[in-house]
Amino acid sequence: MELNKIIRPNNCRLLKSNTKTEALLELIDLLEQEGKVTDIEELKREIFYREQIMSTGIGQGIGIPHVRFAGISEPVILVGIKPAGFDGYESLDGEPVKMIFMILVGGEQHKEYLRILSLLVHRLKDETFRTSLTSAESSEAVYAVLTGESH
Amino acid sequence: MTGIELFLGEHLNPEKLNALLLLGVVLFGGTWVGRLFQLWKIPQVVGYIGLGLALGNTGLGWIDLTTMSHLQPFSTFALGLIGFMIGGELKIKTIKKYGKQFTTILLMESLGAFVVVSILITLAGWFFFKNWSFAISLGLLMGSISSATAPAATTDVLWENKTKGPLTTIILGIVAMDDAVALLLFAVSTSVVGILMGNGGDVSLVSSLLDLVWEVGMAVVMGAGMGFILYRVIRSFSDEDKILAFSIGAILLLIGLAIFLGVDIILAAMSMGFFITNFAPRRSKETFHLVERFTPPVFILFFVMVGAKLDVKGLTSVTVILAVIYLLGRIGGKSIGAITGSAVSRAPRSVLRYLPFSLLSQAGVAIGLSIVAGQVFLGPLGDTIVMVVTATTFVVQLAGPPLVKFAITRAGEVGLNITEEDLIRQSRASDIADKDIPTIKENADIKSILKIFAERDNLYYPVVNEEGVLTGILPIEKLKDTFIASDISEFLLALDIMDQAEFSCRPDTEASEVRDIFKNRGLSSIPVVDENGIVYGMIEYRRMQQLINRRLLELKSRATALEKV
Repeated sequence: MELNKIIRPNNCRLLKSNTKTEALLELIDLLEQEGKVTDIEELKREIFYREQIMSTGIGQGIGIPHVRFAGISEPVILVGIKPAGFDGYESLDGEPVKMIFMILVGGEQHKEYLRILSLLVHRLKDETFRTSLTSAESSEAVYAVLTGESH
Repeated sequence: MTGIELFLGEHLNPEKLNALLLLGVVLFGGTWVGRLFQLWKIPQVVGYIGLGLALGNTGLGWIDLTTMSHLQPFSTFALGLIGFMIGGELKIKTIKKYGKQFTTILLMESLGAFVVVSILITLAGWFFFKNWSFAISLGLLMGSISSATAPAATTDVLWENKTKGPLTTIILGIVAMDDAVALLLFAVSTSVVGILMGNGGDVSLVSSLLDLVWEVGMAVVMGAGMGFILYRVIRSFSDEDKILAFSIGAILLLIGLAIFLGVDIILAAMSMGFFITNFAPRRSKETFHLVERFTPPVFILFFVMVGAKLDVKGLTSVTVILAVIYLLGRIGGKSIGAITGSAVSRAPRSVLRYLPFSLLSQAGVAIGLSIVAGQVFLGPLGDTIVMVVTATTFVVQLAGPPLVKFAITRAGEVGLNITEEDLIRQSRASDIADKDIPTIKENADIKSILKIFAERDNLYYPVVNEEGVLTGILPIEKLKDTFIASDISEFLLALDIMDQAEFSCRPDTEASEVRDIFKNRGLSSIPVVDENGIVYGMIEYRRMQQLINRRLLELKSRATALEKV
């Protein structure tokens, strides 16, 4: 599975939002504009329900909200960066979350879902990669860093 | 006659009660009465016969002789089906196992009744009629008739109660075979009586015995022949509807031929059933199952007719006393014979104790023989026999089935012959669910989920929210999949990897419905929840099958254990 094929330029943004809730909604809005999701309200409910049960801030400034959702046919990764961090995004190491990778897959795409999560987390273990992401100056730059086109 | 009377006479004449309407009344009423009797814990067959009594000769007279003769073919058909089903239960393996016990008990109980009834009726006959040859004739004929035991009502109780075990096997074998003994005794007796009464010309011993050989021998040959044909044909059929139609056709053809050739219907049908079950065991199970499902309406009709036919209005005090003596003599003789036979052949204790209660029933063959006697020996001898047999049939048909039920219940054989289908039909979701299954919280991490899977052998667990309401199912495959992402497994929760619970059922959902959901939806597990969605348990298809198999094995081993007592 190629992460680069799933990550689209339109889905990578430097976010304006300051809080976790706003940030998540801003990312979901990207999807709504594309019109690929049938029931956007339901998606919001599921994303927030998951966060309510346990925050997806996994430490080192990373947040990976994720759901399997029946209204999606192809896996989607939405990326939002805010170097200053998002308020209210709890994480395991107590550090502010600066990078959000929202992973959405179809209801039956369980294995793809786990693969994407695994590949992404694996790539994010690289500190220089994380630093170049948080220091990207535009949404295009975020995309370029993610897909390795800046190198 | 006014126009209205004419109109009513034309449209509401009870004599114009058509056969279909009567069939409807009998089946509808019969089923209803049978169900009522079942609720009262009395065998349903008593209800059918009781309804017949009420509608027939003894009671209201709605079912008169003409109607009965119209419906006679149905009764014959029922006898054919009964013979076929009994034949199907006589497996060579079982006969070999019980062979010695079976032959000994059969001979002792039928001869016991013959000897005791013959002696008692001869003595009573002499007392009333002061004529030794008349008394001995009456004794011999009644004695031979008394040795027969009717299979229909008895086996109906066995089938209704799904019995299995040594008592059931011996009863089935005996009720099926002692008619042959009765026919033999009757043939010999008729010849002796012919000589005693001075009209021996048309009933010589040799011709009686030849008749018997024809009646029994031909029946066996025909049955086996038809069984062979049926076996050859159903071998190439796979469609259940066709197998059913063809099997019923074969039975009808066989009993039609049996009537045409004047041979014993039950024996012929039994021999066909016997042939199929022993020589084509693989296909026969299905065939018998199909035919069995076809039998209820025919049997109801048959038993209602049995009741309707009985006419006890012409009884005199002499016939009543003779009937009482006959009844006591028959019960005594059969009981002594059955007990001695069981003791001599070392039959299981349940057979020795309870077989005597199961041999009371008397119907078709006894009535048939009494009618033959009535036609051969015109006058008081024949009339007395017909009256006594009718009156006693009336009593034993009503008292017999409850006693059979008592016997099989005490012998512990009730409910042991249950199939997977029966078991499912009797169960609800709560009976087949794992009630002590632990639930997994939505926020449980992989480590704690692994622990639950490690401690039990279930493959599916219900996932619940904070309130304990079912939100999903966690199958072991989904847990296995997390190995793909082992480096992030500490971030994963049950909510992330569970499946949606597409189907759930209530504790009181019928098990058959649960099984249908499994089959039609290709599911492997179904959670059971109460009306608030709180998890009650979990049904796994695999574990449901295991549970059913275990229960069937348990019943089987209980039946086997009965043989050793």
